[in-house]
Amino acid sequence: MSRRDRWLGHRMVFPLILLLLIVQGYPMAFAAYISLHDYRLTALNEVRWVGLAQYAGLLENPSYWTAMRNTLIFVFGAVGLELSLGFLLAYLLWRPVPAQNAFRAILLTPMFVTPIAVGLMFRFLLNNQLGIIPVWLRALGVEIDWFGPDLALFSLILIDVWQWTPLMVLLLLAGLEALPAEPFEAARVDGASEFQILRHLTIPLLRPVILAAVLIRMLDAFRVFEYVYAITRGGPGERTETILFYIYRVGFLYFRLGEAAAMAFTLAVVIFVLVVFLFRILRRQEALT
Amino acid sequence: MTGLARGIAVRVMPTITVLRWRRRWPILFRFGMLSMATVSVLFPFLWIFLASLKPPVELIRPSLLGFEPTAVNWSEVWLSSPFARYFLNSVIAGGITVIVSLIVGAPAAYAFSRFRTGGTGLRFLILAAQMMPPALFIIPFFLMAYYVGLLDTVWAVAIAHLTFIAPLVTWFLIGFFEDVPRDLEEQAMVDGCTRWQAFIRIVLPAARPGLGAAGLFAFIMSWNEMFYALMLAGGHSKTLPVAIAGYWTFRGVDMGKMSVAITSAAIPVMIASFFVQRYLVRGLGGGALKG
Repeated sequence: MSRRDRWLGHRMVFPLILLLLIVQGYPMAFAAYISLHDYRLTALNEVRWVGLAQYAGLLENPSYWTAMRNTLIFVFGAVGLELSLGFLLAYLLWRPVPAQNAFRAILLTPMFVTPIAVGLMFRFLLNNQLGIIPVWLRALGVEIDWFGPDLALFSLILIDVWQWTPLMVLLLLAGLEALPAEPFEAARVDGASEFQILRHLTIPLLRPVILAAVLIRMLDAFRVFEYVYAITRGGPGERTETILFYIYRVGFLYFRLGEAAAMAFTLAVVIFVLVVFLFRILRRQEALT
Repeated sequence: MTGLARGIAVRVMPTITVLRWRRRWPILFRFGMLSMATVSVLFPFLWIFLASLKPPVELIRPSLLGFEPTAVNWSEVWLSSPFARYFLNSVIAGGITVIVSLIVGAPAAYAFSRFRTGGTGLRFLILAAQMMPPALFIIPFFLMAYYVGLLDTVWAVAIAHLTFIAPLVTWFLIGFFEDVPRDLEEQAMVDGCTRWQAFIRIVLPAARPGLGAAGLFAFIMSWNEMFYALMLAGGHSKTLPVAIAGYWTFRGVDMGKMSVAITSAAIPVMIASFFVQRYLVRGLGGGALKG
């Protein structure tokens, strides 16, 4: 590469770097500053340095750990179900089937609707007085309190599954369609059964795409906010308090910005680790193609 | 036999003659499973759309059909409430975000794809930047917007959306520039263009579908985003998601109007999604996954 090209490359990247420094770098440094101070919106004149006390405080804050635990249950529950269901649907869509394109286009639509609308849609649909699903269940003799203490978090997981399984389908189906044809022909000639092919050929070949899809979904699921905001607001009790909602509560309802910023950094560390894994998988994929 | 009829015959005849029940049931089974999935995807949309046509008394009696459809909810939301304005706010915030992201992201993505500028480190940074949790930036943004006087404006929302949408668009475009054959720009440079001119006149037009898909997807992301919008613009500069959330609060519920708002917000993006779907995988993988 010539020096002129290298110089042009730097100039072409520069505006993006500048923008990111303004909208990400500066706010991040500011957030770090806030997290090291006792910074309350109600007492902006009395901001004082507290070092790592905010972070140390989190370790002893049971609500923080409850929120983290709920978030982990949500992430693993939702992404696990989405992977199973998404793989099933992608597999069904892989080979020709009548109305294939229509199925595909319709099945992908939920992921494009704003999550707050999806949350409210299901709050309405599952509501014991207003929704149609409890009416049908009652006709079958089943009474379920979807947003009661036992099921609330699970219901939120189901809503996430409804909205985001399509992304799983999209990524896995693309992965399946990019698989080479020869190994499958060879396996069929050798008389392998459908299940054997799936287990020993399709899934191993698809592994990098599966991992990338799971990580992309996990990164998103860690930031769950809208469903909680739309339906339970963290309740009943703290049963559906997720980390992003708890940060919102502490920062914008209790005005303890320092504590909220410290929590945001702990979440950022988790996200960062997942991004490292995702990046490594994508790079390896690229080396192959 | 016309061409079309021949095509149908060729496709249909073997299916009828060759496939016996044993070979045909898997297709029926798959068709059945996919139909079930499709029904469970469409049903909530249908329910909300029907609710938007119900008169207020019908809404407390859950039923699918058997009501007199009315347009009263639609006219109240669109004509006698500021909803149209919130709709416009979302369009403006999305528009600003998309335009800035494309202007800044396209040259950067080209530089990554052709010169590997900044190497692996910078690429990783672009991916990490779009994934960082909004909770990290919201507090500084809130304070900054407050001090600068941008709080409760569409500008604050658009700037906040740039934090993840600008890197996302860049990441998307890397893959699409990879797909533009290098011969094109090399030919233009032989003909006397500079590299920059070749980028503007040859590569950008060739990557138009990718640019369109990335821009449309970025618009959808901005349109759907609520966390920043809720904190930065609660008053008259509300965007659609915040406005939708306002229909069901502790103070009261208005199902009919909420359903109108949800339908109105969902229809444009669902139409847009049909144009984006094809390009999404290639974009999300930053060129590493095949679409």
